[in-house]
Amino acid sequence: MPTSEPLLVAHEATKAYADLVALAPLSLTVPTGEMVALVGHNGSGKSTFLRLAAGLLELTDGEITVAGAPAGTSDARAALSFLPYEPVLYDDLSVREHLAYVAALHGVDASGDELDELIARVQLSHRADDLPARFSRGLRQKTSIALALVRPFELLLVDEPFVGLDATGKEALLGILDELHDDGAAIVVATHDPGFVERADRCVALRDGEVVHDGPATTADVLRLVST
Amino acid sequence: MLAADPDADLEGALVDWRQFRRRKRVADIHWIDAFYQAYLTGILGLVAVAVASSAVGDDVATASQVREVLADGPAWLGGLAAFALALGLRSGSRGGPLALERAEVRHVLLAPVDRMSALLAPALRQLRFLGFVGLIVGGVAGDLASKRLPGATLAWIATGSLVGITGVGLSVGAALVAGGLRLPRWAGSLVGLLLIAGAVAHGVGLVDVSVTSVFGDLVLWPLRFSLAGLAPVALALVLVVAGLALLGRASLEAAERRSTLVGQLRFAATLQDLRTVIVLRRQLAMELPRIRPWVRLRVRGTGRWPVFVRGLRGLLRWPAARVARLGLLGVVAGVALRGAWTGTTPLVLLAGVAMFIAGLDAVEPLAQEVDHPSRRDASPMPAAAIHLLHLPVGLLTMLLAAGVGGAVAAGPGPGRLPADLAALLVVPLAAGGLGGALVSVLAGPVTMSEGWSLAPPEAQGMRLAVRTAWPPAVAVIGAAPVVMARAAVADGHTALAGAQPLVVGALVLLALISGWVRVRDDIAAWWKAQMALAQPNRDRTNDADV
Repeated sequence: MPTSEPLLVAHEATKAYADLVALAPLSLTVPTGEMVALVGHNGSGKSTFLRLAAGLLELTDGEITVAGAPAGTSDARAALSFLPYEPVLYDDLSVREHLAYVAALHGVDASGDELDELIARVQLSHRADDLPARFSRGLRQKTSIALALVRPFELLLVDEPFVGLDATGKEALLGILDELHDDGAAIVVATHDPGFVERADRCVALRDGEVVHDGPATTADVLRLVST
Repeated sequence: MLAADPDADLEGALVDWRQFRRRKRVADIHWIDAFYQAYLTGILGLVAVAVASSAVGDDVATASQVREVLADGPAWLGGLAAFALALGLRSGSRGGPLALERAEVRHVLLAPVDRMSALLAPALRQLRFLGFVGLIVGGVAGDLASKRLPGATLAWIATGSLVGITGVGLSVGAALVAGGLRLPRWAGSLVGLLLIAGAVAHGVGLVDVSVTSVFGDLVLWPLRFSLAGLAPVALALVLVVAGLALLGRASLEAAERRSTLVGQLRFAATLQDLRTVIVLRRQLAMELPRIRPWVRLRVRGTGRWPVFVRGLRGLLRWPAARVARLGLLGVVAGVALRGAWTGTTPLVLLAGVAMFIAGLDAVEPLAQEVDHPSRRDASPMPAAAIHLLHLPVGLLTMLLAAGVGGAVAAGPGPGRLPADLAALLVVPLAAGGLGGALVSVLAGPVTMSEGWSLAPPEAQGMRLAVRTAWPPAVAVIGAAPVVMARAAVADGHTALAGAQPLVVGALVLLALISGWVRVRDDIAAWWKAQMALAQPNRDRTNDADV
C-alpha cells in the first residue's frame, strides 16, 4: 500500500552522452509501497533512468536519492535491488552458488531451505546445481530474477522483466511482483507490455527523455502515449 | 523477503567467496594445460631474449659512444617514462586500469560492500603481475645492456629490474590516480601527449630539459650514479599509494563499460581480428559519431552517387577525437619522414604504420559494409562494386592525413624535406595507407578455410605471417620513396628523380589492390568451385551457393 514517505526521489535528473541527451531533466517521486509502470518507446530513457537510480550510470546533472541517500552510495545500494534487462552472471557459479554469494554480499545468512524455496519460485529447481552460463535466455532471466530477490530491499527496479520468459515464467514473475507489492515494497517496472499498467498503481510515460504522463492509465492509454 | 544481519561482515564474506571461486578455478585446470602454458611461455620468452640479444649485439661501446649515451640517453630514455605515464593517464581516464568481470561489477560493486575493499584485491593482483613482468623484462634488458656498456653485469640487471618495476608503477599508479580523480578523457590524453612531446623535444634538442629525463638518469645508474634517479622511483611509489587510496572513488559507469568491452577486445586481439579490435576500442573510448555533421551536405536524398554520398556523410560526422587522431598520425608520419630523410631509415616503418592506422579510419564506410554484409547483399549492385565505390572518399581522407604529414615534413626546423619532394610524397603516403587498410579490412582475420585445412603447419605459419605483415607492408611501401630520394641526392641526382619510380610503384600497387577489390569475390567463388571439384565425395548439401 503506498504511503506518503518518498523512497525514490529524482530531481531534474539528466543524463547526456556528449551532445546526445538520453534523459532530459526528469523529476519523479515514488513513495514506499507503490508499484509504478514506466513506459515509453525505444530510446525514451526508461532504462537510463533505472540505471541512474541503481548507481550504474552517473548523472550529468540533477539528483536522485534512494531511501534518503544519494543514488550509488552504500546506503542506497542496500535499499535497492536492480533486475536488469540483460542477465549478468558468473561463468563458474551454479544457480545455488550465485544465490548464496549475492546473499552473503548483502549480509543475508540464507539457509539451504530458503534458497531452495526461492529457486522453486522461479521454476529452476531442476537446474539449481547447473551453471547458468549454459542456460537459455529465459532460464538466465529466471536466475537473474532470483538474484534480485535473494537480498532485502525497499525498492525494486525492474527493466523489461518479461523478455525471454515463457508464459508460466511470466505468470510466476507477475505473482512475485504482486506479492512484493502487497508486502510493502516500492517497485518500478520499465516495460513495453501495455497490459502491465493495469496492475500498477501509477503509470509514468516517457518520450524522448521527458515525462509525458504521470498517473493512472489503462492499456489503451499506454498504447496512445507510446505511439504518438 | 529474506532479512539482512546488520552486523554481518560483508567484506569478509567477499574474501571468502573469492577464495572459493579461486579454489574452484584452480581445481578445474588440468595439470597438462598448466604445464603446456608454462612451456609455451618459457619457449616464447627464450625466443624473445635470443632475438633481442642478436639485435643488440655484443660489440663493446667505444668511449665516445658511452659519452654520447650519457649526454643524450636521459632525454630519450625519459621518453619511455613519458610513454608509460601517458598510457596510464589515458587508461585511467577511460575507467582503467582494472578490467573486472561484468558480473563482479553488477553483484559486488552494487552490493553495500565497501568499494575500496572490493577493488583492492584485484588492483594488487594486477600490480603484482605487471610488476613481476617489469622485473623480468627490465632484468633481461639490463643484462643485454651490460654486454655493450661498461659496468658490472649485476648492477645492470639490478638497475634494469628496478627500472622495469618503476615503469609499471608509474603507468599503473597514474592510471589508478586518473581513475580515482575521474580525470576527463581529453585531459588524460592531453597531459600524456604533453609529456611525450616534452621528452621528444628534449631528445631532438629543442629544449634543454624535460620532466621525464630523471627516469633516464635512473636507467643509466650503472654508468653514472645520480640521486636524481631516485625521483621516478619515489614518484611511482607515491602514485601507486595514492591510486590505491582513491580506488573507492572509481566510476562504476566506466568500470561496467570497460568490463563489457575489454574481454571482447582481448578475444578479438587473440584472433588477430583487427577490425573488431578497432570497433571495440572506439566503444571503449566512447568515440561516437557527431549528431550534427561538421558541414551539412546540400544533397537531396541519395543524389546521383549514393555510395560516395553515404561515405561523405559518414566522414562529416566523424567525432573530434578521430579527426585529431588522423591529424596526429599525419604529424607522426611527417616527423618520421624527416628522420628517414636525415638518415634514420627504419623510421620509414613508423611513417608507414602511422598511415596504415590512418587508413583503417579512412575506410570506415567500406568496413561497415563488410561488418553488415546482409544489408549490402540486399542491394541489386554487386558487393565488390559497392566496395570499389567507397574508395574515393577513403582516398580523399587519406590525402588530407598525408597532406598534414607532407606539411610537417617540409616545415621549418632541422631535417626538413624540400617542399617539392614533400608534396610529391603526399600521394604515395595516401595510396599506401589506403591500400594497406583495404587489404586488412577486406581480407579480415586469418581463418582455417577449406583450402588450407590440409596444408602442412609450415605452410599455415607462412600464410599467417604473410597475411599479418602484408597490409602494413603496403603502407610502408608508400613511405619508402623518401629513402630513394635520399639515395638519389647522395648520388648527385635530384630528390624528385630518385623518388619518382617508387611513387609510381605505390600508385600501381593501389591500382592493383583496387582491381583485387573488384574481382576478389569472383576469384573466391572460382576457388571454392575448384575445391569442390577436388573433393567429389564430400557432402555438399550446405554448399547451395557453389
